[in-house]
Amino acid sequence: MSNLLTKRLAKSLWRTKLRLFAVISMVFVGVFAGITFGGYAANLDVMYETIYDDSETGTNLADLWIDNQSAVWSENQVNEFCDSLQNSWPSTSNELDGCEGRMILKGTLFHSNDTGEYIINSVWHGIPANADIDRTWFPEGNSTVKGRSAVSANEIVMDAHITDTLSLEINDEVRIGAGDGSRNYTIVGIAYHPMHVYFVPEGSLFPPTPGQFVVGYLSDKGIERLANLSEGSSNTVMLDVAGTPGFDIPTTVEYEGEEIDDIKQVVNMSMAENLMDGRVRDRGQNDAIELMRLDLEGAKKAVTPITIMIGSIAAITIVLSLQRLVQSQAREIAILRTLGVPRKSIMSGYLLAPLGIGIIGCGLGAIAGPFGANGMLDFYQKIVGMPIIERTIPLEVYTVQIGATMLLVFLSGAYPAWKSTRIDPLEILGGKSDIKIGSNFLQSMTGWMPTSIGLSLRASFRKPMRLGLTLLAVGISLMLAGSIQMMTAGLTDSIVGGLKDNQTWDAQVYVQPGSENAVIQWANENDVDYEEIIETPLGILENSEGMKLSFTLIALNGYGPGESMRNLDIIEGEIPQENQPITQVMMDEGSLKMNGWKIGGVYSINAGGSEIDIEIKASIRGEIARTMFFVKSDLSEILGMNATSVYLYFPEGVTIDEELGSISSGIVERESLLDGIITLLEQQTQVLSTVMGLGILFTLAVMFNTMVMNIAERDFELATLRVLGASTSSLGIMLLFESLLIGFIGGIVGVAFAFGAAFGMAASFSTWQFYFPVVLVPSVAYQLMGIVLIIAIFMVPIGLFRIRRMDLVEKVKDLSQ
Amino acid sequence: MTLLEMTELERYYETPAGIVRALDGITLTIEEGERVILLGPSGSGKTTLLNCFSALDSPTNGTYLFKDKEVPRNNSEKMTSFRRENIGYVFQFFNLLQDLTVLENVQLIQELSGTKDLERAKQLLSLVGLDSEMGRFPGEISGGQQQRVAIARSIAKKPTLLLGDELTGNLDTETSRKVMEVLVEACAKEAITAVFVTHDESLVQYATRVIRIDSGKIISDEKTTFE
Repeated sequence: MSNLLTKRLAKSLWRTKLRLFAVISMVFVGVFAGITFGGYAANLDVMYETIYDDSETGTNLADLWIDNQSAVWSENQVNEFCDSLQNSWPSTSNELDGCEGRMILKGTLFHSNDTGEYIINSVWHGIPANADIDRTWFPEGNSTVKGRSAVSANEIVMDAHITDTLSLEINDEVRIGAGDGSRNYTIVGIAYHPMHVYFVPEGSLFPPTPGQFVVGYLSDKGIERLANLSEGSSNTVMLDVAGTPGFDIPTTVEYEGEEIDDIKQVVNMSMAENLMDGRVRDRGQNDAIELMRLDLEGAKKAVTPITIMIGSIAAITIVLSLQRLVQSQAREIAILRTLGVPRKSIMSGYLLAPLGIGIIGCGLGAIAGPFGANGMLDFYQKIVGMPIIERTIPLEVYTVQIGATMLLVFLSGAYPAWKSTRIDPLEILGGKSDIKIGSNFLQSMTGWMPTSIGLSLRASFRKPMRLGLTLLAVGISLMLAGSIQMMTAGLTDSIVGGLKDNQTWDAQVYVQPGSENAVIQWANENDVDYEEIIETPLGILENSEGMKLSFTLIALNGYGPGESMRNLDIIEGEIPQENQPITQVMMDEGSLKMNGWKIGGVYSINAGGSEIDIEIKASIRGEIARTMFFVKSDLSEILGMNATSVYLYFPEGVTIDEELGSISSGIVERESLLDGIITLLEQQTQVLSTVMGLGILFTLAVMFNTMVMNIAERDFELATLRVLGASTSSLGIMLLFESLLIGFIGGIVGVAFAFGAAFGMAASFSTWQFYFPVVLVPSVAYQLMGIVLIIAIFMVPIGLFRIRRMDLVEKVKDLSQ
Repeated sequence: MTLLEMTELERYYETPAGIVRALDGITLTIEEGERVILLGPSGSGKTTLLNCFSALDSPTNGTYLFKDKEVPRNNSEKMTSFRRENIGYVFQFFNLLQDLTVLENVQLIQELSGTKDLERAKQLLSLVGLDSEMGRFPGEISGGQQQRVAIARSIAKKPTLLLGDELTGNLDTETSRKVMEVLVEACAKEAITAVFVTHDESLVQYATRVIRIDSGKIISDEKTTFE
């Protein structure tokens, strides 16, 4: 008997092929997305482990970096520091595996090709031949990578991210500078480096347009020759601690980094002993490394919610569809129950149906998943420019995704199955179930409306649970479509908008402290407007949990209208005044929120080694990095320097020339910075469009399912109206109103969900280094509402088509029997 | 004056068992103001004939003129339009909309046919004896009352022809009597021609004409003495 019933149910389901297809597709997409994201995250994890690994094939990423861009430490100084560190190394910590001095300089590449001569912002590393920490990476099986490390004073290895764009090959000559003229070097290798996996200049989050930023790896002798330094000079010390010490992860308030923090204390003491001044950063504080960890963590975090969201939509659709099936088969079930068929036999079919749907959907998802993961990895390669050669999806990813989806799908069949066994034969066969008394409340609320519209409203609210589930499914679908978009729209709005509309400089020329006069002289000679600014990552504060957090100190010419080439978006508070008893500053909103700091509050910070009190006067929007803005004279006095870079505004006909390149230690053009941001955002838009398209498809499927069920459930009602002469246009208006009502409420729920999800994601992804402000951009909300309302309108012709296809003769027969 | 005229009307259905001749050469005319009862056993073709009257179904062959005009066939929209302009329909199981009150059920049909008139809706409900039930939902009133609402609903848009299919089939004898009396009164007052399908011989007393059908053919057609 049970088999017969199951077959009967399968046939009924098969009759609703389109709906069945939609539900299977949802399950498929859920598993596909889960495996895609899971596979992507797993492979990235392996890639990072491979490149950072302390082995022959890895690069042995440092655990701590000590640097000071404005200092030059002698070989002796570094050796003494390393010895002192080794001697005072805490016995409770893992041993110190390596302590190496390096010179890393900002500079320029003088590049010429058929289209002209270019001065490109660059970073030059000096890496000794016997270096053990932060080595260049020559992975096997990658066609871009070739050659060997630089050994002699005129050799260089170019980073593989840019060699194709600049058409650089082994044995080519390049001319480079670092604020002291320029020198020629021969390319002996093309490789990657662990600190430049994500290829951005320090302080920037967005990769510049390809070819606008260059990194090269010279030998120690090579970099000394470039900057005319004495042998053994360095401005960075890298420390390698044996094993994998715990780091403070900036996304958490927990204090994971006790181990590394103990070490940092010893490091600070040894630095003081050896008269070395600089910042000490662990991996969590190194932006280039942290961003990659964050990206990986984001991918891992996204797997579960996206799978659950998609699975939930599928589950709701299954619940609603099966419930409708139970309802339409109530009479048959009642007869079977009267004939003595046990509940278990009736229930099993309704439990098996979703499992069948789940198995097909999961199977297809598992087959397609690896293609999705590969696509994501290819996309990642395109953005980051790093090869991911070995790609495998762990079995665990499959089992977790399929297991979770099957459980969700099975549970979605449980309620309708249970409902089917609760059917009371007497009630159904006695016709009692057909008698439904309308709602006085709804009548009183809608009695004033035209009757057809009132009927539409009452019909929509007739089954509150179903309506609720439908709205939930529409809401989740729109959340999928809109949340990431909402988060990035807010981000784009504040960052691109700020850089594009609020800043007027053409180029930012970096200088060594005290060397700004050469740039100013160049500006005067060329009638170029300039503004000296201080921008240095030397701020440290201690939060309420006792964690030391670093941030950037900035001082512009002024903060009033037209006082600076960089206008700030002050969202609250007022401009600070100079030379106050307590130094007045402004800070970005992310810092204030994450620290719980308030405008008007007085706090202690460390600025370039000096402990000072500051008073927060205003909150600034549009800064992803944690930043504190000072009045220039105040910060200049605290740090003992006038400028770290100069903003230039070029008149017509003036551009960056070789002279400017040779006196600077790096030049960033605002246009190329903007191009880079826009390019990255455009690439992200591709992913967004896919996720958004998925959400729209699901909204479409949910709305379609609702419309079809509405028509099926109300076919007697609609047939009666048709027999009584209701035109399709009048029924169309009723359906349109119902559909728009569901769309409108669903849209509001969706916008609220999307905003909530965007807020949650931003909170989850925001770290001390990267803060995502969530700004409700009205256009996104309108877009979501527009999408769902258009879908609602599109559903009406489908409803009318089904009404027109009704066999009224058969219906009248039913109505009369 | 002749309201409708059918000549050699045929309706065939193709089934796996062969062609079923539901209507097999029906020829009849119905004059305005008549109350016709179609009698016949199950499967005789009376409901099919009613469906052809209302343009719910399209005849296979033959002609059907309504007020001297050809009744549309095989065109859903034109057939619906014909029904909207000319036909009222009462079902056996009333088919009232459960979410609407008694008054709203009547108003809805007026609204859909573009003849909204609250006063008339109230008058009709008063005519069928439901003054005090206008604000109640169908589920709150008896079957007989529901059928009276259905009658008020069917004549609310002033149809030329009122059709009923076993309209008392779901009611007890006493309620059937009351409903038929209400219907007769309403048809007379509104000058509506009516055709009812039934297998209940006792309803003959409310008709001015009785047509008996069997195997898709008219086997008798008699005027009655009812006034």
